[in-house]
Amino acid sequence: MKVRCPDCEGEIKVPDDAIAGEIVSCPDCGQEFEVYFEGEELKLKQAETVKEDWGE
Amino acid sequence: MVVVVKFGGDLVANKEVLDRLAQDIAEVSEKDKVVVVHGGGDVVTMIAEKLGKPQVFITSPDGFRSRYTDKETAEIYMMVMAGKINKEVVISLLKAGVKALGVSGVDGGLLRAERKKRLVIIDERGRKRAIEGGYTGRIMGVNVEMLKGLLEMGFVPVVAPVALGDENEVLNVDGDRAAAHIAGALKAETLVLLTDVDGVMIDGKLVDKMSLSKARSALKRVGAGMITKLYATIEALEEGVEKVIIASGLKERPVTSSLMGRGTVITVGD
Repeated sequence: MKVRCPDCEGEIKVPDDAIAGEIVSCPDCGQEFEVYFEGEELKLKQAETVKEDWGE
Repeated sequence: MVVVVKFGGDLVANKEVLDRLAQDIAEVSEKDKVVVVHGGGDVVTMIAEKLGKPQVFITSPDGFRSRYTDKETAEIYMMVMAGKINKEVVISLLKAGVKALGVSGVDGGLLRAERKKRLVIIDERGRKRAIEGGYTGRIMGVNVEMLKGLLEMGFVPVVAPVALGDENEVLNVDGDRAAAHIAGALKAETLVLLTDVDGVMIDGKLVDKMSLSKARSALKRVGAGMITKLYATIEALEEGVEKVIIASGLKERPVTSSLMGRGTVITVGD
């Protein structure tokens, strides 16, 4: 499925079997977005930047 | 001189290695102020499994593998890190004549951390995904006055990498990063990160010296086990530590020989 980038209107390919939390990136602007669902509708929100410090 | 020494679970789990390390710390602490930070993730995994709680591991997009710390795991983590492992290290140091005092990051609010609400992983389908963060934390503060007080009293503090979150929850924090923040807060001259390899290996060769900028660029070129040490190195140098040494803890007099330049020595400039 193809979804418009919320930032630059570029075209983001999202796998048909995408699940909530999946991270996709825009090929045009490089921004990363997290998949979420409102009812049945797939939406994208800005992905949080998470630093790599995960404990022992 | 203030030296922070961190060693991991592979060294803690081997009594002979631990006792040898303790002898060396005894020697170093005669002239320098020493803070010890230990790891022990493998021991936590082993005990958790014995308790019927198999551990789940997740991988970050950069290849960093870590345990998934749910509430029950956080409780086991605290028991093992702040209990069994911390006390075994303290006993080994006491045997070697070191005035060792064990504390976890919870005691005295020594390590304050921000709970990571989300983690980004590579899931079982090989895709990037954000999941609930569980009980791991990013260190935000160190009670440096407490550590200074203990050092002034002649103690060698032995710190377990357990931190206290904003809502007073117990958090699993990485030992290398804990050591880096402690070294930074103390303005320690040297942070020694002991591991089971000779130092930072790039293209199969040991790197004997590195600058901060080279350490940053090496992040993509080292194995998963070394990534966390390089992140810790970068944080320590950025916080004002003069020198970080990554070296093998399996050698004779591992701390003394590291301070003399064995392993990989990383400084801000070239």
